[in-house]
This record gives sequence, C-alpha cells and structure tokens, in this order.
Amino acid sequence: MPSTSTLLSPELLARLEKMELVSRKIFRGRMKGERRSPRKGQSVEFADFRNYVPGDDLRFVDWNTYARLERLFLKMFLEEEDLHFYALLDASSSMDFGEPTKLRYAAQLAAALGFVGLIRGDRVKIETLGQPARRAAPVFRGRRSLWRMLDHIEQITPAENVPLAQGVKNFCLRNSGKGIVVLISDLMDKAGYQSALKYLVSRDMDVYVIQVLSAEEFDPEIQGDLRLVDCEDGDGADITVSGALLRRYRQTLAAFVEGARDFCTRRGMVYLLARNEVPVEQLITGYLRTRGLLR
Amino acid sequence: MRLLGSAADWLGSWFVSTLSWWQWLILAAVPPAIIALYFLKLKRRPLEVPSTYLWHRSIEDLHVNSIWQRLRRNLLLFLQLLLILLVMLALLRPSWQGRKLSGDRFILLIDNSASMQATDVPPSRLQEAKRRAGELIDQMNSGDVAMIISFADTARVEQTFTDDRRRLHRSLEAIRPTQRGTSLLEALRVASGLANPGRSAEADNVSDVQVAEALPAELYILSDGKFGPVAGFSLGNLKPIFVPIGTASAANVGIEAFSVGRSETRRDQLQAFARLENFGTASASVMVELFLDGRLQNADRFEIAAGESHGVAFPLGDVESGALRLKATTGDHLAVDDEAFAVITPPRRAKVLLVTPGNEPLALALQTKSVAEIAEVQLESPEFLQAKPYEDLAAGGGYDLAIYDRCRPQRIPQCNTLWIGNVPPEGGWSAAAKHPMPQIIDIETTHPLLQWIDLGDVMLAEGTPLTVPSGGSVLIDSDAGPLAAIAPREAFEDAVLGFVFIDEAVSAQGKRERYVGTNWPIRPSFPVFILNLLDYLAGARGGQQSESTQPGKPVSLEGLPTRAGLRVRGPSGKMVDLPAAKSGKVSFTQTSEAGVYEVQAAGKTLQRLAVNLFDAAESDIRPSAEPSLKIGYVDVPGRADWQAARRDLWKFLALLGLGILLLEWYIYGRRVQV
Repeated sequence: MPSTSTLLSPELLARLEKMELVSRKIFRGRMKGERRSPRKGQSVEFADFRNYVPGDDLRFVDWNTYARLERLFLKMFLEEEDLHFYALLDASSSMDFGEPTKLRYAAQLAAALGFVGLIRGDRVKIETLGQPARRAAPVFRGRRSLWRMLDHIEQITPAENVPLAQGVKNFCLRNSGKGIVVLISDLMDKAGYQSALKYLVSRDMDVYVIQVLSAEEFDPEIQGDLRLVDCEDGDGADITVSGALLRRYRQTLAAFVEGARDFCTRRGMVYLLARNEVPVEQLITGYLRTRGLLR
Repeated sequence: MRLLGSAADWLGSWFVSTLSWWQWLILAAVPPAIIALYFLKLKRRPLEVPSTYLWHRSIEDLHVNSIWQRLRRNLLLFLQLLLILLVMLALLRPSWQGRKLSGDRFILLIDNSASMQATDVPPSRLQEAKRRAGELIDQMNSGDVAMIISFADTARVEQTFTDDRRRLHRSLEAIRPTQRGTSLLEALRVASGLANPGRSAEADNVSDVQVAEALPAELYILSDGKFGPVAGFSLGNLKPIFVPIGTASAANVGIEAFSVGRSETRRDQLQAFARLENFGTASASVMVELFLDGRLQNADRFEIAAGESHGVAFPLGDVESGALRLKATTGDHLAVDDEAFAVITPPRRAKVLLVTPGNEPLALALQTKSVAEIAEVQLESPEFLQAKPYEDLAAGGGYDLAIYDRCRPQRIPQCNTLWIGNVPPEGGWSAAAKHPMPQIIDIETTHPLLQWIDLGDVMLAEGTPLTVPSGGSVLIDSDAGPLAAIAPREAFEDAVLGFVFIDEAVSAQGKRERYVGTNWPIRPSFPVFILNLLDYLAGARGGQQSESTQPGKPVSLEGLPTRAGLRVRGPSGKMVDLPAAKSGKVSFTQTSEAGVYEVQAAGKTLQRLAVNLFDAAESDIRPSAEPSLKIGYVDVPGRADWQAARRDLWKFLALLGLGILLLEWYIYGRRVQV
C-alpha cells in the first residue's frame, strides 16, 4: 500500500492488517459492524435459546428442538456491530522531547491502532487533549479513510498546554458513546493524573493508558549546577547534580510509574509504559497483543 | 601604653609575621570576598526539561531534613572561612617562645665527646645537641650560611659554610658519638679561620694589611661544658653563644682506673685493680663483674657514696695471658665508662745474642738462673757472624739485644746492641786510640742503663775514648773522654763500652796472653748493670701488664716484626692493616673505640692493647651550677633559659587546612541545593 505518510511503514501496515481491536466489554454500536453485540439478532453466531412468544419470527424457531421436546424455542444469534475507537493524544509541550519525540511516538501509536480499527470497520476518532469541548473531531471509518486519518494525525502539533484533567473532561463531554479509548500521554501533570483517569473510568469505557516516556527521562544525562526549566509552565528547579539526587530521581520516577500502573489496574484500566526508544512495531505486535488490546 | 607594649611583646613571642602589611591587607580581604560570593547566588545553567514535576518531588524527598540542608549550605561557608582563618594563622607562624637568629653566619660547634653520650637528656645529650642545632638551622633565613664542626679532643669540620639547609641537616645527622675526651681549642681554631683571617706580618706593624676580609660569625657551642678554660685563644670576630646541654640530675659511676699488677704479698700472683668513682649526687650501688677472655671470673657489689671513689681488687692467680674486661652495672646515665679493659701480656723472655771470642765474666753473668728466667742467651763465637742463620735472624728482628764483644758484624742487626771494645760500623761512631788507666769522673745514673750503679770502686786498665754521634748521650765520662755512650739508631739504640772486660795481647815473649781489662765484674754494681741491660736494652720486663691508652691517642708498636706488615683487629672486629715498616716501629692511630685491640702478623696474635676512657672530666657529667665557658679572657655564660628554637605550629595548621578542604569537597559532593 503506497503511503506518503511516514507515520506507518508498509511493513507495519502489512502486519497490522491481520489484527483487530479487542474490547473486553461488548458495546452496542449504531451500525452493524464486524462485532458481536449484546443485542441478539441476525448473525451466524449462535448465542442462546429462549422461549417462543407469539409474534416472533418463525424463521428463528429451532425446529430440531421442537421435534425432540415438542416445545418451541427460539434460536438467538449474536448481532455483530461496529466499535468506537478513540485515541486520545497528549499534545502538550512536554511531549515534544526525546528522539523521536514522545508526541511523534504517540502519533505513530495512534495511527497504527487507528489503522487496525479502520480495516475492521470500527469508528475511529483521533483526538488531542487540547481540543475544545464543543468542537468534534472527525470520525474515520473504513479503509478508505486511512489517508484522511493520517493527515489528521500529522497535523497535531505540540503546543496545547491544557491540564490533563481538563483535556480528558472535554473529551468525555464530546464523546458520549462507549468503546475503546487509548490515552497516550506522559501523565506528567503537576495536578496529577488521577482525576483525569477517573473521568474515563466513569464513562464505562474500555480504557488503555499508554504512558510514553523518553529515554532522557529515565536516565537524565546531566551534570553540574543546573536550573531546570519546565517547558510548559516555565517553573524552575535549581539542582546540583549528585549521585544521591540522581538516585532519588530514579526512585521517584519508578514510584510514579508504579503508582500509575497501580491506579489503572485497580480501576480496570490497562496501563502500559512505553519508552520512546522501543520501536512502535515492537510495542504494537508485542506488548499490546499480550495486553489484549489487539488480536 | 605600657600595656599595649607588653601585649605586643607577648604577641611577638608567639607570632612572627611572614607577610608585609599590604599582603596582610589583601589576605584580610579574602573572608569578606568569600561571604560576598556566597550571597551572590551560584550561577546555574538553565536547561529545559519536559517537566520539573519529578525533579521537584525528588528534591522534596531530599529536603525532608531541610534544616540540615540549610546548615550544610552554611557549613560550606563556615568551612571556607575556617580554612582562610587557618591559612592566616599559619602565615603568622605561631610558635612557642621563639628566639630570632641574628646575624647571617653561624658556626655550630657540636660536642661529640664521650660525656655527650649521657642519657640524662633523652635520648642522649648528643641527640639533644643535634636537635637544637637542627632547630637553629631551621630558623636560618634564606641567604644565611652555617658551618658545622664536631669536636671531641680533636675537631672535625662536618660541613663547610653553606646555605643549603638540607646539606646542613644531613651533615648534622652524620655526627656520631665518640669515646674521646674534650678539647675546645682545636674546634675554636678551625672556627676562627674565616672569622679572624691572619695578618700578613706582625701585629704591631702599622703598615700591615689584612690579607682577607674578616667574616664575623655567631659561634654556637652546643656542649655539656665538661672541659677546662680555653687559654691562649682570642675570639676576635666570633660571637660565642654557649648552649649548655645536660640536666642537674645527671648521675654517673665510672671506672676511672683498671690495671693488672703483681700481688704485693705474693709476687707470682697477679691482681686486677680497679677504681670506681661516683659522680652523682646520691650514693650508688654498683655491681662489678670481671671477665677473663669472655668468661666471668669474679664479681663484687658495693656502695659508693656521692662524690667518693672506691677501689676494688680481684686476685687473678697465676694467669699468664688474656684480656680482662671489667663491667660495672650502675644504672647511671653514661654507659661508656661502665666498662674497662686490661691486657695481661704473656711473660716474654728476651732473646739475647752474645758474640765473643771469650768473656767469662759476662758469660757467667748472663747465664745465672735469674737471668734465664727473663732472657734466653745465645752464646756464639765471632765465626757465627759469617753464618747464614745469623744473617736471617739479625735482619728479621730475631733478637732483642745483640752484644758484640770485640767483634764486628758485616751488617748492623735490627735490634738493640751493646758493643764492647768496639764501635758500630755505622751511625757515626768512632773511637780514639787507647788511653791507659782512665779515671771515671762521671756516670749518668739517671739513665735506666746505669741506675742504682756506683762505679767508684771500678778500675779500668785502658780505655778508648768515644766520639758519640749526634743524638747520643754519654753514660760514663772519664778524664780521657767518654768511655760509655748510647745513641739511637732508627727504632733501636746502640750502647758502646769503650773498655774491655778481658782482652788478649801479644806478650813480650811473642805469646798471646789474656788479661783482665777491669775489675768491674767482681764489683756489686756489675750484676745490677746486667739486669739494667736486660731490662732496658733487651726489653725483658718483669711486669705482665701493658699500659692502657685513651681513645683516639696513638699507640707506638715496638719490637714487632714489622717488615711483612701488621694487622690490628679492633674491639668490634674491624681489621686495620698497618703498612710494612723497616724501622721496626709502627704507630697505630685508629684507637677511637674503647676495648682490646689485637696486633696480628700472619694470623698470629703478637700483642694486645687496651684502650680505655679513664677520663674523670668525661665521666663527671654533672653540669656546673652556673654553666659558662672561659675562652681566653672572655666569659661565655651558658644560656640556661635557652628554649629550643621555635616550635612551629604552621605545619599542623596547614595539615588541618588540608583536612578541612577535603571535608568541604566531600560535603559539596553530597550536596543538593534548590
């Protein structure tokens, strides 16, 4: 498949074509898709029996059972329907760090997941945290929408310094439908990520939190007397780099990551830590499959 | 005002400023600068990071003990201030009771005589003197020069004038204690060589000019002062400073004499005598042990009152030879004089050669039992002189005394000689024609050869007046001229009698007849003369003890076969080779160590020498109450209050500063600051 976008390589696309998004919860969609719906209906997949009540479509009566038991049962089939897939990107300035930048990494991830959704006929929405509450993002559906989606993703720039909680709240206000939401962020918000994630939990969505961190954040290669300036709010921290401080920083980071993982797990969300030096392909085909987002 | 002055004096005694006032001003500006720099915040390099969120949390974790953190931040300031304070203090050179050296030329006279080994000033007086001299050297300003002279009974320039302190220290360390007495004079002469240059002519000459520029110098004499006034020396441009070393509590018991002699009551028995003296202020209990050739022979214990001496005698029995060592266990401050040595030489029978065509009285006198005890007499006829054995023995010093009665050898032998009726072929002797019936008018009874001899009853038939060579002395003078004389020849002496005992003459009948030339052989003085002869010329001594020599004094070795060279084995086993000498007399000078020296030839011990200190002046290590020296007409008072030079603190301060610097680095390395 020819591609002008650098977000996804052809090899990755080829691999992604064989995958599909998996939701642990079964949602009711608006259109018939390739997914099972709790609504029993007309599909080839058998779900259950129920007693016949007058008015039922006789085409679904199980005549074999009637012959054996002399009672009318109605065969019920699972109805297949489409899935809402939301990729929520954190496009704050802090994501503009690393090689590749965390935002680029997040975009690649979103594109890959979105592509999987597109080819399975799911409704795919790529949104950023900085998007205003009232402005709806375009919905992509079907393989043909791939280029539109990639264009949309490419246009995301790291300049939307909105608090995490505010961004998630706006997202929830915009999107009332249920489905899978993948939040891709570094979760570095001074107000904390907890309230933001709670919004997602309350929406009863299938939530995946992918925390993207750069290698520089894991192992800061700095020394000397420094004044660290926060790129988002300009806040400064005077440090004198020492072994003790670096040790303490790593401990804090580990505790932070562990805290996020713990928070997510307790609330039925799937947490995943992504390092920007791990190729997206590896993350998609490896970690995300084991975590159950993809199949 | 006076208070200010005394305060300044007090400060001056503690501190010496090493910087000038403007340098101090600069230094004083450093602490305010440190504080100012501290208030100007550390300039930090800004670095943009995704988020300071985690950093803040990390720092906050470290800031749990923020009081400590703040203190730590200030601690660095305090440490820096402390460091600069220490530097300033070190630059002040704090010290105890310093004394500044004046002058720019110093001569250090270090006494290394035996008494300086006393340990009343630990570790020893010499070490203390060296330590003080070292401190003096340390005080020297750059450009000052110093010279080091060590002195005992002789002086030795350890280091000529130099400003190189390391060389001075090295030379100072090289000074070793000796076991010698003390004489300051030579050291002063050496020291004054440069300070008081000689004049070109006599002092009274007004037109006289000095040949060299006088270089005045300060003369530090580091000694215990155990020597008498130095007479006949003018200090001139030397400025003496006497630094007495030693404490009043010094106590010493020393062996002042040790000898071996025959017992008064039993002449065949030997006795060892020793005299010990207590130079301390309290009575001392002394144990003495006598060793003969290393074996304990006898011991004694006694008490010696303060200032008294005590004699002790040990019977030795009929010991023939050996080396005696007397050891006194005293527990005093000086160990050098707690040991004494003596040598018992084996009784040696003198070898006497008598060559005569026939001389019964003399032969008889030499063959008595008493003579046989002390001498071995070989009687030969004149033909023997032509024989080879004689040549070998005479040339090799095989005899102690050769008596030539009316005969004359080709070569004069290597021994003392007595010529009867003849004169030696060399040495400038000659005899005049025979003079009948000479009258003896004078005899030299002070000479050992003629002591206790009266020749008043002796008559001579004839005599040949002698011409005595220069250096000789007449023993018997007669109206005809000298009839007996003695003159030295190299290491030996030749005695000549210008008369005969028995002679032969051709009578009127043409027959050879013997006649008697003198009645001396039947006079009582004759045996005495024979004894004197054997005693003096043959060296047959009755005693069995050789004398003791003081360390450093030369010993003359006589009567030994010196042609092949001799070796001397010192008390410590050190071998010294003495060069071969034709004269039969060698001088041995390397007697610096007390003990027994063995003179050897071809591996055989020929003679032993005892070297002992035996110097009351050295043993008496008590310092005088008012230590002072008298040099010429100048009294040099001892600097009793002389405090050892500055004990500098700055090194410790500098070390402390270094420690603080390290501590600061450590704290800085651990520091985290917001």
